[in-house]
Amino acid sequence: MYIPRISKFDPDQNGHFGKFGGKFVPETLMPVLEELEKEYAKVRFDQDFWSDVEKYFKDYVGRPSALYHAKNISEELGAKIYLKREDLNHTGAHKVNNTISQGLLAKRMGKKRVIAETGAGQHGVATATVAALLGLECEVFMGEKDVQRQELNVFRMKLLGAKVHSVKSGSKTLKDAMNEAIRYWVTHARDTFYIIGTVAGPHPYPMMVRDFQAVIGYEIKGQILSKEARMPDFIVACIGGGSNAIGTFSHFLEEEGVTCIGIEAGGLGTDTKKHGASLEKGSPGVLHGQMSYLLQDEDGQILEAHSISAGLDYPGIGPEHAFLKDEGVVKYASITDKEALDAFVWLSQKEGIIPAFESSHALAYVRKMPKEEIKNKLIVITVSGRGDKDMIQAKSLLKFD
Amino acid sequence: MKQLVAYITSGFPDKNFSIDVALSLKESGADMLELGIPFSDPVADGPIIEAANLKALQNGFSLNTVFDISQAISKNIDTLWMGYFNPFYHKGFDFMAKKAQDLGVSGFIIPDLPHEETLPYLSTAKEHNVALVSFVAPTDSKERIEKIIKNAQKFIYLVAYAGITGSGTSEDLTQTIGYIKEVSKTPLFVGFGVNAKTAQEKAKGVDGVIVGSAFVEILLDGTLKNGEKITKISSLAKEIKEKINS
Repeated sequence: MYIPRISKFDPDQNGHFGKFGGKFVPETLMPVLEELEKEYAKVRFDQDFWSDVEKYFKDYVGRPSALYHAKNISEELGAKIYLKREDLNHTGAHKVNNTISQGLLAKRMGKKRVIAETGAGQHGVATATVAALLGLECEVFMGEKDVQRQELNVFRMKLLGAKVHSVKSGSKTLKDAMNEAIRYWVTHARDTFYIIGTVAGPHPYPMMVRDFQAVIGYEIKGQILSKEARMPDFIVACIGGGSNAIGTFSHFLEEEGVTCIGIEAGGLGTDTKKHGASLEKGSPGVLHGQMSYLLQDEDGQILEAHSISAGLDYPGIGPEHAFLKDEGVVKYASITDKEALDAFVWLSQKEGIIPAFESSHALAYVRKMPKEEIKNKLIVITVSGRGDKDMIQAKSLLKFD
Repeated sequence: MKQLVAYITSGFPDKNFSIDVALSLKESGADMLELGIPFSDPVADGPIIEAANLKALQNGFSLNTVFDISQAISKNIDTLWMGYFNPFYHKGFDFMAKKAQDLGVSGFIIPDLPHEETLPYLSTAKEHNVALVSFVAPTDSKERIEKIIKNAQKFIYLVAYAGITGSGTSEDLTQTIGYIKEVSKTPLFVGFGVNAKTAQEKAKGVDGVIVGSAFVEILLDGTLKNGEKITKISSLAKEIKEKINS
């Protein structure tokens, strides 16, 4: 059974990963975060809580997710490549690992209502799903622009019984959805549980969400050892806020000889202003309750991000990634919209697996790695979600005869 | 006499108008001025102040705007900067504290910098004679209140309800005010949702009120000319000052 373990990379008592992380929220929320910290400390290593989580993981989500040896692309690239199939999870992505666990915690704390922010709608759908399952009220905040481009996911959330708020302020995308969710949370601080969708936000969220997603890397470790009897050379995952990546990496950070690589959204190129590469192009700052790398101007105003994938379209990143970057523990790189779209088609046609635009970034990176660097190497790529949600957008971008 | 702290969003609609509004607020009875530094993502603010923030940024606000306004008014009215932490951090807290001191600004009000996160900055603030105003919320326990206001400076900012600025909500604050008064003699001001209607009620048991959205709403009113806005803001300030002291 998966249970989190104490890690060398846990934050300090106030939630700081080095200088990053922390709790930068209005005072009204501080007692709420303290309560959450206490409650999470009680369950973090609690057998009963995690056996409850496991029941849902196994029979509801369909875990463990497969580790699939992708022979066709392996042959093409001259490396041995495995795909961690988070796309096979119920609701279509890794997001549900986190929402099930936070939902159970909310229930335990006696909260009746959960809220969530969402970009592409994957986290919103995963939250609405869990709310339906556990009998909680659910309200989801989504930027107006995303509501329009992810119409189908908005319908799914409504079908699941959630109320969807279309956020009209600022850039009308994920950043503004999160602002509005925080405003709602401050206003309903006493009875509402905020299910944050990634390893960001104020402490304890970055640590807690990492623990919930680290089931991914925990499974990979067992699976790769039984298939290959050795550790992989490279592990690659895409990064928006960074939850599937940290979930994938966390059990390998202390393994010698394993290189973890996180892939940010390069948009139209990191030499343009249209990208979401906060680590590569941003600087440290405070947004949404945490200190981390941010895309910002010379006065510290937050800039709008851009990516083909709504899930990576965010000007910040989880604080643990900021720390791991500065410490040189994980390597970070970026992939452009075009490279991601090419990899989306590539995997679909080579392996019969249609990945999400987000995951396509990780695939594109491996595809682009120098042949001599990966020759005969063992590589694991996390396919964080499936591409179904991207069909309408893909249809407008791709032409097939 | 109970005090009135007025908030305006700096540089909205422009720098010179902010200076005129600030000076007329002083004449109308405001004791302190919170000069708001617009931020792209003001999560503690309701729709009124958020709109003013975003419009000021669209109009080309830069930190120099707030520096210029401060210089022009700080001799006339006790001036503080109110803003989210990122611009302070990005420019360098040392730089901002020194700048504040040079421009005669007496304190910072930073809503997303709770007690625990202020600790690394206290000595710099002290060195430059800049007060870091402590917030208390109605969700705080007695123990937490004791911890966070032990060294409160200038005044304590009591948030009137769990929520964002400018909403119509109200909460019974008697117990929270009691806890604060037990441990601190620092003046206690209540803010959030204070307007002509609510001022008298909200000022009960405290030493003053902070008014933001009610003034900014007038600034945002497109049907008024600049001169009319100033007249309206002045008479609102006078009315509130009178109500809290009656």
